Amino acid sequence: MKPTARWIPYFLVAPAFAIFSLAILGPILATFGLSLTNWDGFSTPSFVGFDNFARAFQDKIYMDSYWHAAVYIAATLVLEVAVGLLLAGLVSAKRNTTFYRVAFFTPVMLPLVVISVLWSFILNPDIGLLNRLLGNAGLESWQRIWLGEQATALLSLSVISGWIYAGFYMAIFYAGFQRIPSTIIESARLDGATEWQLLRQIKIPMVKNLTEVAVLLCFTGGIQMFDLVYVLTNGGPYDTTQVPTTYLVRVVFRDQQMGYGSALAVILTVVVLLVGLIYNKVRTKEDAVVEY
Amino acid sequence: MKRNPVFHIAMAMYSLIYFVPLLWMALSALKNNEQITMTPLSLPTTWDFGVFREAFTVGNLGKYALNSVIVTGTVTSSVLVFGSMAAFAFTRLKFRFSKQLLGLITLGLILPLQSYFIAQNALFDTLGIKDTRMALILPYTAMGLPLAIWLFRAYIQNLPKEIFEAARVDGAGDLRVYQTILLPMLKPGIATVAVFTTLSAWNEFLLALVYIQNDDLKTIPTGLLTFSTRYATNYQLLFAALTIVTVPMIIVYIIFNRKVIEGLTEGAVK
Repeated sequence: MKPTARWIPYFLVAPAFAIFSLAILGPILATFGLSLTNWDGFSTPSFVGFDNFARAFQDKIYMDSYWHAAVYIAATLVLEVAVGLLLAGLVSAKRNTTFYRVAFFTPVMLPLVVISVLWSFILNPDIGLLNRLLGNAGLESWQRIWLGEQATALLSLSVISGWIYAGFYMAIFYAGFQRIPSTIIESARLDGATEWQLLRQIKIPMVKNLTEVAVLLCFTGGIQMFDLVYVLTNGGPYDTTQVPTTYLVRVVFRDQQMGYGSALAVILTVVVLLVGLIYNKVRTKEDAVVEY
Repeated sequence: MKRNPVFHIAMAMYSLIYFVPLLWMALSALKNNEQITMTPLSLPTTWDFGVFREAFTVGNLGKYALNSVIVTGTVTSSVLVFGSMAAFAFTRLKFRFSKQLLGLITLGLILPLQSYFIAQNALFDTLGIKDTRMALILPYTAMGLPLAIWLFRAYIQNLPKEIFEAARVDGAGDLRVYQTILLPMLKPGIATVAVFTTLSAWNEFLLALVYIQNDDLKTIPTGLLTFSTRYATNYQLLFAALTIVTVPMIIVYIIFNRKVIEGLTEGAVK
């Protein structure tokens, strides 16, 4: 519709756009600008061209941090998305499962920091619930300093992340399953399909687009993961759980290298945008092919 | 469908993965440090709830909670008002640059916080608003708006166009239509947006960590972290603090579970 007065739409959009520009849009442009300088937060920045980027690609800790994030994302794709899909299959197979759905979703809405502190106790080598349970089960040899050993730290973080977010993906898939016309499900049941066949051959294929969204969310969430890592390991031991976000915070706020940090931020941004673009490409292609 | 006890037994067992840690946390708060260290799995021997009062006062939890309420309340109401206004204009009114403006705001859906927070930090330094609540309210509002506008748009597109046209015929201006027709019909959308905005502002950590050093202004996540480093070995007090922070949230969640789950997943499902 044409507005009743020309100024009205601008008036309606102005507050949102002003806040968004001030807090996000402007700072993005400025961060891109800062990435070409050697600013330390105090003195006048001077232009250094692409030196920061050259340095970033030589920076072993930074490059490794992407590798850690990749391992973490691969692990959480299984522990969050696949487990979530399975849980959704389970809770949609029977009636009266509200209790489970509510229970599995609980960690999603709690503050990550609080959950991280709680897990630091669960994995604590002295008072920790996990080691104690293992000990009581006669599995002393399985006990570990979970977050302090290079072999288990990153994996432990992924498992905690799975504990938190499996319920989130379950809720997404469950909502998708509920939208499948019940006639389809009922007739498959009448034909003697088991719940497992229903899940594999009907439910999962019909929520394919949600699976794609879930994979994208798992990726963007994983590469931006900060709270959990910062509280539990802060990148240690020996930088083996250093992820792009924790390293960025260290460079900027501990080492005061705003210019270099901005370059790291720009690289991270480009990675996220590239994945978003690839996702969009792949998705529209499939949509064009699959018609039913 | 057959009744199948095996299913429910298996699911109940699996639920323990979620209940045991939370229960262990709450019960450990009732044990002294020696009991927590020596017998971490045993039940408390006394049921003295005074520790919760102690954790609340010693840890300044009331102050942190108040800060969280002020920040979150301001953010959520701003996102609801400004977001619905903008979504109305973007969806129902024709104006120049509407596509471009919406496109820019949509960028906010995918861009990571890290892509702007370094310069944002410098900007807030210059403006002198670091260590004020504004330093959290501004970015949280800005971060909430893109998804809010996007979801509101989806809701408005589902409303019949004729309603808006009829109001126009009756001589109502756009601002009156927004107030008297759109807002009441947008209620389900408002609930959804309110849930995810409230929870993400309530739980946000990184910006709060960077922008607020003054203990009097800290919100619950950073406040609790300060508490946990200050009393690192006083396990009982820490478990009590964790319990105080989580239990009210879990109670609210149980009451409104459908709305909460919907609010947090709608963005992905839509």
